[in-house]
Amino acid sequence: MAIDMSDIIDAPPIDKIDIWNRDDMEPRIREILDRTVRDRVKGPYAAKTDSEVIAMLENYFARTEGLDAIVIADVARMAGGASKEQFAFTLRHRDDAVGERLVLRMDPLEAISQTCRGREAQVHVAFADILPVASVRSIDADGEILGQPAIILGFVDGVTEPSEGTGHGVSGIGTRYDDWAAKLAPQFIDALAQVHRFNWRSADLSYYAAPEAGTRQAAIWQVNWWSQVWWDGVVQPVAMVTYAERWLRENAPICEAPVMCHSDLRLGNFMFEEPSGKFTAVLDWELAHIGDFHEDIAWAIQRLFGTWTDDGIFLVCGLIARDEFLRAYEAASGNHIDPVKLRYYEVLNAYKCAVIDLGQAMRAATESNNHQDIILTWLGSAGAVFLEQLVMLIREA
Amino acid sequence: MLPNIDLRIANMIKALEQVVLPALPRDQRLARDQAQLVAGHLRMMGEQWKAALRYEQISLDDLMTLARDLMRSAPTPLDKLADALADAQACDRESVTALEQANIGLGHAVDAIILGGEAHAPLSQVSIDAILDHGLRHARRERTWFKRNGLDPDRNDLPDLAALFDTAA
Repeated sequence: MAIDMSDIIDAPPIDKIDIWNRDDMEPRIREILDRTVRDRVKGPYAAKTDSEVIAMLENYFARTEGLDAIVIADVARMAGGASKEQFAFTLRHRDDAVGERLVLRMDPLEAISQTCRGREAQVHVAFADILPVASVRSIDADGEILGQPAIILGFVDGVTEPSEGTGHGVSGIGTRYDDWAAKLAPQFIDALAQVHRFNWRSADLSYYAAPEAGTRQAAIWQVNWWSQVWWDGVVQPVAMVTYAERWLRENAPICEAPVMCHSDLRLGNFMFEEPSGKFTAVLDWELAHIGDFHEDIAWAIQRLFGTWTDDGIFLVCGLIARDEFLRAYEAASGNHIDPVKLRYYEVLNAYKCAVIDLGQAMRAATESNNHQDIILTWLGSAGAVFLEQLVMLIREA
Repeated sequence: MLPNIDLRIANMIKALEQVVLPALPRDQRLARDQAQLVAGHLRMMGEQWKAALRYEQISLDDLMTLARDLMRSAPTPLDKLADALADAQACDRESVTALEQANIGLGHAVDAIILGGEAHAPLSQVSIDAILDHGLRHARRERTWFKRNGLDPDRNDLPDLAALFDTAA
């Protein structure tokens, strides 16, 4: 139903949150967004060669850990992820001739999403005993030594899609799990529930800030984050994106109890071993923040991340029918899904995806600031899917 | 033009798929992914390039329709929107670049109306309906234009490009 603006203007204030205060966002997110604009002109960016990576890592481990006789071997560029430049490598040195298999995950000059490696490291450490996550070996949050922000993780074996399957796609989109779904779906739902049950107040999350409970700040922080990304990078205005921002401000719901949100837990962002199907890692925590759990649920049920069975049933993340997914999540988490808030966060997530695909990805590719510009433009060509979702979701809200 | 653009695009796709990709080691997945995307982009562009001018004309015309709708119903000052609309009407309609620039200029003026100025003046229901109607047309047009990327979960429900242009006409 459409909003009558006179009702909003005359209504008593819901809370002290100014829905149009664009400066109200997490301080570290503000730093990252400001850094993005400041560094944008340093491009273009070229994919790192193996020899460049070896030199960077030799220097890094010598300076940060004082290692001697460092050998960086078996460097292998990793695919996957539409944002970070990733290399597997083996680190050997005087005191470790066998070596450690590690992953360098570093920011190109500009990516499909601009995030903080320090936040990513902290959330990996926080969940180390709760979920399968890669161990954190080292962190250069602002690229002071490596020259670009990076995290170095322990290597994890596993696959993000079945080796033998009927559907594969960019960034996992379009992957079909077929018979694997029965093994993977319960673990996927449990992972969501574990993330939301996590006691973030007891963890070292100094790069994070928490929105005030019982206010609209959780939602407005997200709107401010992503609208800032849009306005900082817009290549071509899109009226629907602008109207969606306005709608999201004017309809922001209260979050009674902020929780840790993964913010990108979907197909392609978990690894499992074959043939058992056991999860070996939950991946891509870069968008994690403290917010409303409905945001994660709404993210997972997006149509772009789902698949259809041969008899026409839509599967959330290619794994499980939507109603069954919602019921199973409620049972696993103890959270009650509010359909109005879920709809709000479906709009927010469609907006976020539109901003990523049509805003940030297009700006990064236009500036030639990424190591895989062609993937950014490929994903950008799917941006209109989210525009139509925005129209449909707002009309139905 | 000989060889023409269609032939050259087809040649590039063939070279990528029959020579370059098979020569790339299986473990060079990033290189293989990017080579496949080059072929995919070329295949889409092969379908699109002859219609690009018409597509940009339709896109600008549709945005001008929204601008006129907002002129009739928006509460905020409309001078800049009127100026941008005049610029769009006067642009070189035989130039893709000029059409794109006109779209950008008018788009910023439309955005300012949607945001309602510094006071965030309320939008009328008529304006909201016009924005949503335009949003749906815009999204359908772009989804149709790019449906060969295979990413759209509902791509089988979309018309082909010829039908898109017939509808716009």
